[in-house]
Amino acid sequence: MRDRTVLHVEDNEYNRKIVRQLLSRTPYKLLEAADGEEGVAVAQRELPDLILMDVQLPKLSGLDATRLLRADPRTARIPLVVVTSFALSGDDRRAMDAGASAYLAKPYSPRDLLALIHKFLPEN
Amino acid sequence: MLRVSAPERVAPPVVALLASPLGILVRAVARIRASVHIKLLAGFLLITLLFIAMSAVSLRTVAETARQTNLLDEAHERVGWSRQIEHALAMQMHFTAMALLSKDADIVALILRENNRFNDTLARLEKAAPPEERALIQDIRGSQDDAMATVADIANAVRDGRLADAMTALRTRQEPTYRKIETLVGSLVAAEETRMASLRASIAAASRYSLRMMAGFAVASIVLALLGGFVISWSFILPVREAHGFLSEVAQGRFGGTIVVPNRDEFGALAEHMNWMSRELRRLDDEQRVAAETLHSLNDRLALASRAKSEFLANMSHELRTPLNAILGFTEIMLDELYGEVPPTLREPLVDIQTNGRHLLRLINDVLDLSKIEAGRFELGVDEYSVQEIVDVVRASLRSLALEKGLTFTARVAPDIPPARGDGRRITQCLLNLAGNALKFTRQGRVDIDVRLDGAWLVYRVSDTGIGIPKNEVENIFAEFRQVDTTITREYGGTGLGLSITKRLVEMHGGRIGVESELGKGSTFFFTVPLHTDGGRA
Repeated sequence: MRDRTVLHVEDNEYNRKIVRQLLSRTPYKLLEAADGEEGVAVAQRELPDLILMDVQLPKLSGLDATRLLRADPRTARIPLVVVTSFALSGDDRRAMDAGASAYLAKPYSPRDLLALIHKFLPEN
Repeated sequence: MLRVSAPERVAPPVVALLASPLGILVRAVARIRASVHIKLLAGFLLITLLFIAMSAVSLRTVAETARQTNLLDEAHERVGWSRQIEHALAMQMHFTAMALLSKDADIVALILRENNRFNDTLARLEKAAPPEERALIQDIRGSQDDAMATVADIANAVRDGRLADAMTALRTRQEPTYRKIETLVGSLVAAEETRMASLRASIAAASRYSLRMMAGFAVASIVLALLGGFVISWSFILPVREAHGFLSEVAQGRFGGTIVVPNRDEFGALAEHMNWMSRELRRLDDEQRVAAETLHSLNDRLALASRAKSEFLANMSHELRTPLNAILGFTEIMLDELYGEVPPTLREPLVDIQTNGRHLLRLINDVLDLSKIEAGRFELGVDEYSVQEIVDVVRASLRSLALEKGLTFTARVAPDIPPARGDGRRITQCLLNLAGNALKFTRQGRVDIDVRLDGAWLVYRVSDTGIGIPKNEVENIFAEFRQVDTTITREYGGTGLGLSITKRLVEMHGGRIGVESELGKGSTFFFTVPLHTDGGRA
């Protein structure tokens, strides 16, 4: 069985670094994109097994990127977790409306994020 | 500028009337510079004068007729006298003839009696006769004197027995004299009768004239009264109609129009005032409109500013959370030893970083919540929720804290509570705030949560055996950033915003919040929310 890939779309370098460190000891292969357009392009090219999508991104917002990926039959079924800015502000509802599989409020605990990844991609 | 002109507002027949010379008259009367009172008085006076004139003419005619009737009576009397004279004359002739036949001189006395009657009547006639008849009467008297002289001669002849002489005197002197007198009296009677005929004609003419005068006056009075009434009343009705139309315009909010009336009386003054009122209304309306527009644009600018503020807050929310996410994330993966083993000396400061990071996060969340509520951009996520589940979540979240502090922590939910409607997550936040505070400010003893149904209201209660709140602070406890004293923040933590946010959230549900507290013994915080609500006031 090939290594499963996780695409992390996030513009903040430090947050990408945390996920990178978090997944360094797991068998998941990590792909990264720093803006919405790049995220959509990488997802359509690489067809990852899970996408972590930040809400506020340059060029194309995380919600718009999610809608584009959901509209594309190749990426429509890939599990997608939207990382919202603030769960209580209504971002969560908007994320689910855009087609997210789940959402995670920022700031998230890396432990919770890892648990969510495991939930979508069980490690056998 | 609205202009209200007369023909626009009056009924069609009146338009035609006002375009006629009558209309000119109406406007002329309106333009007279006199009060309504004076105009009405003048109208009535005019009619009264007409009636007085009519009465005077009638009286004069009646007097004239009476005078002529009198003249007629006199002429009649004179004709009567003339007839008496004629009779007396006939009697004289008769007695003279008798004296001759009977040869009795005594009969002469009878003739004298008739002669006296004749003279008396003639004297009366002469006195009453008009001057032109005097000559005729003189002639009659002269002839009568002749006749009497002849009678005397005849009487003497009869007495002396000279019958032949008496007969001759009678035939040649007496008879022609009598015929002459008869003719003279006849022409006198004819003159009187002519006079009487002319008097009768004159009386008839006078009565016809009087009738015509009366009729003329009556018609003239009626026409004048109708005309005067029409003109005066229309000179008042016109401005009233104008005012009616004008005020209708004003009532419909069309200010600034002008009322135009020809009147220079009270109606004119009234129109002036109405125009003044209209100008004032227009001015006030304009001012108000300008003020409204200013307010409107100010409102727009405020709405814009408010939107900018909200956008700023949303951006700040993201901008603050992103680095905080990194701080908390790095701390956690360090503590989870993803970077390798953590030396014991570093573990405590790392936990301190984590604690303070989380406190900062709570502060940011609370400030953002409050800002959104105050900006009116906070919306409740209304759905059905279970009270039991809310209490369970709160208990699960706080159980470890209670355990850590060695406090008894119980929760009791009345069994008869049906599914509720409202923003369950926000109600959870409220209960979490109150119970969290209670645990924070209680060193020993217990914290109890109690929820029950009171009619259509849910009553949530959190009681503790904590430090309590001084009476003078109870009022302020729900204000922002209020803790009983600042040292408490250091000792117990907390942002000082929890109660304030809880109060706002409860009020948004249409409920209310309160506290009963005794210093040193503990406090009971409670709030009520409707069992079913789709959101109260924002």
